[in-house]
Order: sequence, then structure tokens, then C-alpha cells
Amino acid sequence: MKENAASRVVFILLLFLNASLLNGQSPPGKPKLIKCRSPGKETFTCWWEPGEDGGLPTNYTLTYHKEGETLIHECPDYITGGPNSCYFSKKHTSIWKMYVITVNAINQMGINSSDPLYVDVTYIVEPEPPANLTLELKHPEDRKPYLWIKWFPPTLTDVKSGWFMIQYEIRLKPETATDWETHFAAKQTQLKIFSLYPGQKYIVQVRCKPDHGYWSEWSPESSIQIPNDFPVKDTTVWIFVAVLSAVICLIMVWAVAFKGYSMVTCILPPVPGPKIKGFDIHLLEKGKSEELLRALESQDFPPTSDCEDLLMEFIEVDDSEDQQLMPRPSKEHMEQGMKPVRLDADSDSGRGSCDSPSLLSEKCDEPQAHPSKFHTPEGPEKLENPETNLTCLQAPQSTNREGKLPYFHANGPKSSTWPFPQPPSLYNPRYSYHNIADMCELALGMAGTTATLLDQTDQHALKPSKTIEAGGEGKAAKQRESEGCSSKPDQDTAWPLPQDKTPLISAKPLEYVEIHKVSQDGVLALFPKQNEKVGASETSKEYSKVSRVTDSNILVLLPDPQVQNLTLLEEPAKKAPPALPNPAEAALAVSPTTPGNCRLQLGWGLGPAGFMHLQ
Amino acid sequence: GALRGAIQKSGSRLLLLLVVSNLLLCQGVVSTPVCPNGAGNCQVSLRDLFDRAVMVSHYIHNLSSEMFNEFDKRYAQGKGFITMALNSCHTSSLPTPEDKEQAQQTHHEVLMSLILGLLRSWNDPLYHLVTEVRGMKGAPDAILSRAIEIEEENKRLLEGMEMIFGQVLPGAKETEPYPVWSGLPSLQTNDEDARYSAFYNLLHCLRRDSSKIDTYLKLLNCRIIYNNNC
Repeated sequence: MKENAASRVVFILLLFLNASLLNGQSPPGKPKLIKCRSPGKETFTCWWEPGEDGGLPTNYTLTYHKEGETLIHECPDYITGGPNSCYFSKKHTSIWKMYVITVNAINQMGINSSDPLYVDVTYIVEPEPPANLTLELKHPEDRKPYLWIKWFPPTLTDVKSGWFMIQYEIRLKPETATDWETHFAAKQTQLKIFSLYPGQKYIVQVRCKPDHGYWSEWSPESSIQIPNDFPVKDTTVWIFVAVLSAVICLIMVWAVAFKGYSMVTCILPPVPGPKIKGFDIHLLEKGKSEELLRALESQDFPPTSDCEDLLMEFIEVDDSEDQQLMPRPSKEHMEQGMKPVRLDADSDSGRGSCDSPSLLSEKCDEPQAHPSKFHTPEGPEKLENPETNLTCLQAPQSTNREGKLPYFHANGPKSSTWPFPQPPSLYNPRYSYHNIADMCELALGMAGTTATLLDQTDQHALKPSKTIEAGGEGKAAKQRESEGCSSKPDQDTAWPLPQDKTPLISAKPLEYVEIHKVSQDGVLALFPKQNEKVGASETSKEYSKVSRVTDSNILVLLPDPQVQNLTLLEEPAKKAPPALPNPAEAALAVSPTTPGNCRLQLGWGLGPAGFMHLQ
Repeated sequence: GALRGAIQKSGSRLLLLLVVSNLLLCQGVVSTPVCPNGAGNCQVSLRDLFDRAVMVSHYIHNLSSEMFNEFDKRYAQGKGFITMALNSCHTSSLPTPEDKEQAQQTHHEVLMSLILGLLRSWNDPLYHLVTEVRGMKGAPDAILSRAIEIEEENKRLLEGMEMIFGQVLPGAKETEPYPVWSGLPSLQTNDEDARYSAFYNLLHCLRRDSSKIDTYLKLLNCRIIYNNNC
């Protein structure tokens, strides 16, 4: 019976429980403590988040106990902090003591407690925003006008006694702007702003932070209108600019001082000028080649005997079956030849044109890839690169027919100045031309036309003493030069460029020079030929001296008796390849019309004496 | 040649000028010099002593907070170490004021003695903290470096406080006994959880005591130097 009664009671209880569940009523959900905050390290407030209420009216209580105490207290004030909060007044607040706080949700069905929160008031400090933010525009006499921002410390903070230490931060922006301008104000309660845009309405806010704690919220916005006539002198920019330029000037002065002259020459290379004795620059500028040449002619042409000898020693022209013109300087007389020909004093850029392999755009029929070897055994110390690839190549191609025969004469539109920037070191007085290339350069330099080409190729052409180190580099240079020279690509086929030139670094003094091509701009491209590459099929041609200069600006060289004849060529565009007036003579002429020939036409008609007198 | 030399000289002079001006501009960062041994004939102003002390105590509390947060993040997540940290500080026997009113009512001599007691009682634990953190496997450098820094700064602050005490209360006895730390065995135990809990306690107490020292010093500074008008 008793068992029956007990089970019945249980059964009824369960029924009630089930009934209440069916009604949707349950004990409350677990509440959760969100955060606690202390505005001045003297009081603090905690907030919680209620859970499910279980369908029944739920009461929340907050209980706590302190570290080192066993007594459990209840929240002294549920109201001051708002709903679901508990406010601990000064009386109830201890610093450097841990509080263990719990919130309990109670309803008819039961109680549910939150997880305990461990709080030490020292570490939950978050002040109120600063109060009474005021803005004022000030216009003191004789000083810049400014905006004066003032504020007061937030409430509930005791700064005077040192219990609470605050730092402030101001931010302001024009009303229409998007980005705030922030200023840190440390412990002061005022700030002066000088950089303002007139005619704008500014919005200002302030916030604060304790020495150890969280930043406050931003204060409500304060705004002020800057009048349109607000004078703003922004000298800071100018000061900055002045300082920066002073610094830059100093740096440059130091660089100049330390790096010396070389840097100056790097930045501002000396502009060489033509210095050919007896040569009138003005004539050149006028572009009247005939007068020019006559002027030159009259002075020292034909060359004197000793010059002739030197020239003979210098020039060796190879008249192969392809009638290639390969003047080469003789080996033995390199050194000697160098002395009298004082072309070095000239900082002219005449060389560049000869140096430029760009004139040759195609492979020669009989590739005589003779990388030039500019050797200056007695040359200036600076000429330390005997590896210069003389870019003048012979271009014996059948396609030479077309294309314009470059003329070394004043061609017109381009300037007649010396466009090659040359390091002065190159022009050591002891440096003398020892190959045709140099002479070509000079010749070209003197002629107006050379300037045109040189403009394009100067970077690469006029550096005989520089090493065109790799063949690739040389090729690139040449290609560039060829691009430069080939303003009329269809015409430039006459001067093929041997593809596999090899830059030679040789200590041998002997240089054989081959005149490979002359670009249409009148640049004489000479290519020194390596001795060992002299093919059997080629026969070297030796020209002992210049016999005369023809009217058509052709330099006629006298070959050595035992040497074959060289075809004398003339301007290709206008004339058919002329017959040699003197079979024994060879003229340095380049004509694209002659198949397989690289002809060089020296349009300036200088004799060897001219070389020697080139200054 | 000569010009270059002149320019070089002027350049080096200018560089020197820039360096000197930089130093002058940065002067605000340079701390004021303090007498090395606290000798009597070396007089540093009390204001400077307090400024320095407040700076150092502020710094130590910052470091302690960072160190505690770092340790909590790395080793104490979800472990409930906080429950064990209650009432675990060896300095709790010192009668330190617990709110503003109490602190304001405490005489500055008492306050300074309390500060000195706290500083002295932490000398030993800080030394062992550095040693044990070094030996802790995988100890992040953030914790170790801060521990080393705190140990050093604590010594410096102790010296400064002794000088302040000598100036504010000349002739007063300041050899009060201070609480001794005895938590070394728990730092060296093999049980990893127990060891981490011991570290947690130590760092928790260090953070709290450094806050106390910092607050008391700032109170004293405003009271003595600025006459309660900070």
C-alpha cells in the first residue's frame, strides 16, 4: 500500500512536471556576466545578460564574495547601473582584491546560476569621456591665429590627489572630410590647433585613458565654423622644402667633393669640339663640304713625305677578290704611327662613327669578322681596355647594291657638332691613331654628316678604347648602332654585320683594319682584322700612301706595288662604280653597289697629312 | 684637393651638428641622472627622485601586466588557475591600504615603508622567477625578457626609494621586516599543472603588488611634491 502511495505521488509529480513542460515553463536559462567597469577606481558596476526565462517571471540576483572572506554578499544596488546591472559604491569597493561574482536567475521552476566572474577593480578601469569640451578661435596680434580647445577631466576621477592619472586625445576634422586628425594631449586639458582651413566647419571630439586601463568613449561632438577670412600662413611646407633642398645641396656638394671630378664628368660630360688644324667649324656648320675640303686641301695636302711614310705604315688595305677594302695599319709601325698622329688632343667624337658596327646590318659575303683591336701600346693609362671591338666590319654582301652610299660630307639637317661624349682620358696626347678606324672617326667627325650618325651611335661608337667586352655586347651595340644608322632600313642592307664577331683582346700591337661599311649617314665603320683570321683567300693589300683626293670626295690611296688593286668606288647613289682611274690606286670608298664589297668612301678627301694634322 | 678637403671638413662638421641637434631634441627622453650610491654629498632634488621613481614604477607595472597576460594566454586557458590564486600572495601580510580613502589617510612614512617592504620582498622571487622561466620548456621570449627587465628595474626602484626615504624622512629607521617568499619548491615541482599554477600565482601577485607600488608612489608624488594639486 505504501509503495503504491509513493509511486502514485511520484506519478502525480511527474504529471505536474510534464504538464508544466507541456505548458512551456521551465527553470530559467543560465545568465551570463558580461563585464564590470570602474570609472574612477573608486566604484564599479557589473552588467549581465539574462538567459531564457523559461516562460515564467524570473528574478535575477547578484551575489559575490571577496578574496580572503567567506561571507557572501548580495548586490547593494541594482538600479544605478541600469537594467541587469549591479552598482558597487565606494563603501563596497576594494582595490587589489579579487571579487567572485555570480548572477542567479530564479523563477518558479528553479534557479540557474551563471559562471563566476573573477574581478579585480584595479584592472577594469574605464573612465567617462572628458566633459565640457569648448572651442574658441583666437587671433593674437603678431602671432598666428589658432583654435583653442579646452576640456575638463571626466567625472568621478580624482586627478588632483594623484589617485587617478589621465591622458587625453583630441580628434578633429572638417565636417565634410572623412579622416580624423588625431592629437595626443598627454595630461594637459587644452590644445591649440594652428593648421586650419578657412571657411570650413570643424568637428572636435576628445577622449581619455587612465595610466593603466581602457580608453573612454569619445565625447559628444563639438563644432565650430572657421570664418572665410581666417588667415592661415602655412610656412611649414616652405620650411620643409627649404630644409630638403639644403640637404640635397649638401649631399651633392659632398658627392662632388668625394667623388671628385669623375662624377662631374659622368653627369656633365665635356662636349668635345672639333679641333682640326685648318678646319673651319663655321664652314662645317654651314654644311658646305666643298669649301671645307678646299680649305683643308689648301693647307697641308698633299701630305709631307714623313707623314706619308707614317701613313703608309699605318694603312694597309686588303684588296681581296671581293674587292673588299681592308686597310690595315701595319703591325710594326703601330707605335711609331701613333706618335706623330696627334689626334688625341682632340676631344672630338669623330671616332664614333667608325667604331660603330651598326653600320653593318647584315653578314658579309666573305665574313671577315675581324674584331678590331684597338691597341695603344703607348696609349694613355686610361685606355686599359684593349678589348675594344672595333665595330667597323667589312660587309661583303651582294645586297649592298641598294642602300645609299654613306657620304662623309655635310649631309644636311643634323648638327655639325661633335656629339660624342668622350672621357677626356681617352684623349691622351700620347694616343695616336693607329688604324683606319680612328682616322675614319676623325674624318667623319670633321665632316658634318658624321654628326648625324654620331648622334645616334655615339654611345657605342665613339669608344674605341673601351672594351666591347663580349661579343654579345658588341653585337648589341652594333645592332643598336645599326638601328641608329639605319634610318632607312631598306637602304641599309648594304652593310651587313658579321654575326659572329669575336671581340679580341690582344696585346699585339699590330692592327689590321678593314673598312667594312659606311652607313648612310656617312659613318665609316672600320673593323680591324685579326691576323690569324686572314683567310687564304684574302690577300692583304697594302696602301702606302694617299695619292690624291678626288673631286667627288674620294681619298685615293696608293697601294703597294705588290699588292692587288683595289677598286676605287664613288658615291653609289648617284654614280655607277667608277673604274679606277689608277688601277694601282685604291680609294677608301664604300659603295653598296659593289657586291660583296665593303667600300669606304672618305668624303672629306683628307690625305694622310690631314690625319696627322688632326688635332 | 684643397677644396675637397675643405668640403669634407665642413661636411663632417655639419654631420656633427646634426648629431648634436638630434641629441638635444631627444633630450626629453633622456632620464635625469641619479646619484649612484646615494651618498650624502650628492644631492638630487626630491622632485627629480620622485619623477624617476614614478616612471620606473609605472614601467614595472606595465611589464608585469604584459607578462601576466602573456602567460595567461599561453599556459592558463581553461585551467581555472585563478581559483587557486586567491589568497596566494606572500605579501598579503603587509597592511596595505585597499582604497583611496584608506590610502589618503595613511601617513607618507607608512606608505614609504610599505613600498620599501614590497620592493624588498620581491627581490628574491624575481630572481628565481627569471631562473625558472629560463628553464621552462618553450618559454616564450616575451615572458623571459620581461622577467629579466622587471628584476633589474625592481633593484633600481629600490635604490631610488631608499634615497627618497632618506630625503623625506632623514634619520628614520627603515629596516622594517619584510615578507619572505617561500614558493620556490612549487615552481620547481615536476607536476606540470602544479608548476604552471605556481607561476600563475607568482605573476598574478607581481602584477598586483606592482600596481600597489605604482599607485602609492603617485599618491606620494602628488601629495609631497605638488601639494595635492596634480
